[in-house]
Amino acid sequence: MSKDLKFLVVDDFSTMRRIIKNLLHDLGYPNVAEADDGKTALPMLQAGGYDFLITDWNMPGMPGLELIKAVRADAKLAKMPVLMLTAEAKREQIIEAAQAGVNGYVIKPFTAETLKEKLDKILGAGK
Amino acid sequence: MSNFQILKLEYGACVDALSEALRNGDETAFFTAVDHIVRMREPQTLTEIRKLTGDLQKALERFSIESRLADIAENEIPDARTRLTHVIKMTDEAAHRTLDLVERSGPLAERTAREAAALIDSLQTYRDRPAGGGFEGAVRSIDAFLPVVRAIEAFLPTVRTDSEQIRRNLADVLLAQGYQDLTGQIIRSVIKLVGELEETLASLTRLSGDVVEHTTLGESPQTGHGPVVPGVTRGEVATGQTDVDELLSGLGM
Repeated sequence: MSKDLKFLVVDDFSTMRRIIKNLLHDLGYPNVAEADDGKTALPMLQAGGYDFLITDWNMPGMPGLELIKAVRADAKLAKMPVLMLTAEAKREQIIEAAQAGVNGYVIKPFTAETLKEKLDKILGAGK
Repeated sequence: MSNFQILKLEYGACVDALSEALRNGDETAFFTAVDHIVRMREPQTLTEIRKLTGDLQKALERFSIESRLADIAENEIPDARTRLTHVIKMTDEAAHRTLDLVERSGPLAERTAREAAALIDSLQTYRDRPAGGGFEGAVRSIDAFLPVVRAIEAFLPTVRTDSEQIRRNLADVLLAQGYQDLTGQIIRSVIKLVGELEETLASLTRLSGDVVEHTTLGESPQTGHGPVVPGVTRGEVATGQTDVDELLSGLGM
């Protein structure tokens, strides 16, 4: 599995972005960029160069679910692996995210092991 | 029957008695008739007074509730907003401070581990060297050991400094957790205000006699609900990652 993968972490809280960035670094993925909501993230993704999207759900501007729908609707980005990392835990929301096309769903608070497990699973499945 | 006819029927006899007493110059009969008329009017007057007093009391209560409400709306709600914004700022600062310290400690611990591993390798290489007998063997043995000793000499002071630094960083992480106490106090004061606002609004509703229908805030799954709050979040909620995984595997993911 390539450790040169470039991640985009989207979360409105800078502390959460920092935590995820640190964890990714520890997992051997040092190439991580950040965005604070979907509106900022989408043009970054469309500009190209990203291999993996990790996004929160509840964000001002453009929420994560809308971002995922926009990503899936964009021919260039449609196949990008997406992990939703969120405090949203309602059953109907998880189903909605699955229907929108997430590859994994992790609820906060989460552990480093859960993050690793989901990343490995998504990246392994994509091979 | 018209209202006037009713009045005539109720008061006619008394008025007649009154005129009669006047005509006859009978003082006792006059006052008896007056008393009778007053007694007849009394219940109605009392009811009106009672109603007026009640209205006045309600108006006063309403006024006091409304002035408290105005005060809450004008001063305390903006205050509460400022206080809660400050809570976000404090938690943000504490989290970043903690992350700073963790990020600074990581490389120090990594360096210790790396250098210790290199030392273990050097010691192993020394042990694995070909054995040589006699005086020359002993000299070679000392020569081979000298670089290891020098590495140990260089390693130990670094380990000491790094460990002390990590210890200091951990103590600072501990101190950074003080935010919980401070933010807790602020949040508690806002909870108190919300409670008072709830009571004031309820009193106002009771005075108006309006029936309030319970409505939930418009929640759109598109924007999200935020973290699950026990006792507040309604509907089926995943209680942990295992729940989420089960649900998703049920959907074929």
